[in-house]
Amino acid sequence: MRRVSVLLVLMLLTLNACAFSRGTLGDEIKTETVNSIKKGVTTRSEVLALLGAPDRLLQLNGRDLFQYYRYDAKVGSLLLIVLNFSRVSVKSDDLFVVINREGTVEEVIASKRTDGLEFRFWPFGE
Amino acid sequence: MIGWNRSVTMLLSVVIALALSGCNVARLTINTPLTPESVAFIAEGRTTLADVVDTLGAPDSITDTETGTIVTYRFLNAKYSRVNFGWLLKPWSPVDPDLVFSRSGLGTDAFELLCDNNWIVTHHAFVRHRPAPPFTPYPF
Repeated sequence: MRRVSVLLVLMLLTLNACAFSRGTLGDEIKTETVNSIKKGVTTRSEVLALLGAPDRLLQLNGRDLFQYYRYDAKVGSLLLIVLNFSRVSVKSDDLFVVINREGTVEEVIASKRTDGLEFRFWPFGE
Repeated sequence: MIGWNRSVTMLLSVVIALALSGCNVARLTINTPLTPESVAFIAEGRTTLADVVDTLGAPDSITDTETGTIVTYRFLNAKYSRVNFGWLLKPWSPVDPDLVFSRSGLGTDAFELLCDNNWIVTHHAFVRHRPAPPFTPYPF
């Protein structure tokens, strides 16, 4: 208990400032929207109506590949009197929709990594 | 003698504190770095892309080739450290002098999968596998 108190006092004395910053790129890809896309059922125009135009459009062996992405960056800075620590963490949400020659969805590949993104200050370790 | 030792200790403490005042340690990570252990579950010819996505999440890019589809996961682990020794002269100088030592290292890496037309992984490999860079401000 005494050691914790000493640490807290030391931190308060040396803490000059701290900063939180955040940046995002792209629109949020909602899980409900992704779940509403059904393989073999949903059509190209329905995908476009749900998600809008894709961020990237690729050709994949005669099939269309729509790619949607969103980036989230969180920056934590701990500005002590003697030194500064900063950590920038960036994660992305990605959605790939493969549309076959008939114009229906063949495959949906999606993941949401940004849900677990936290503000971190300590640059060492994992 | 004791007084002289105390003075030297005090002076050294001030010098170290002033030197550290211009010290920054920063790190940038993009996505979760993958390791050979985290992709060990992939069995070429058996594992499907859906199995990979269930474990690793969606990739960063998918491209088409004559032999199949290439799926790429990218991640970055960058470290930066900086010391400004100019701070040592700050109390005695009318201007803000700078003598900066800094160094950054990028641990960029990528993991690629080659899938056939049925989305079965036929090959997989790390494109670059650089060791994690250290926090060392000395640039020479």
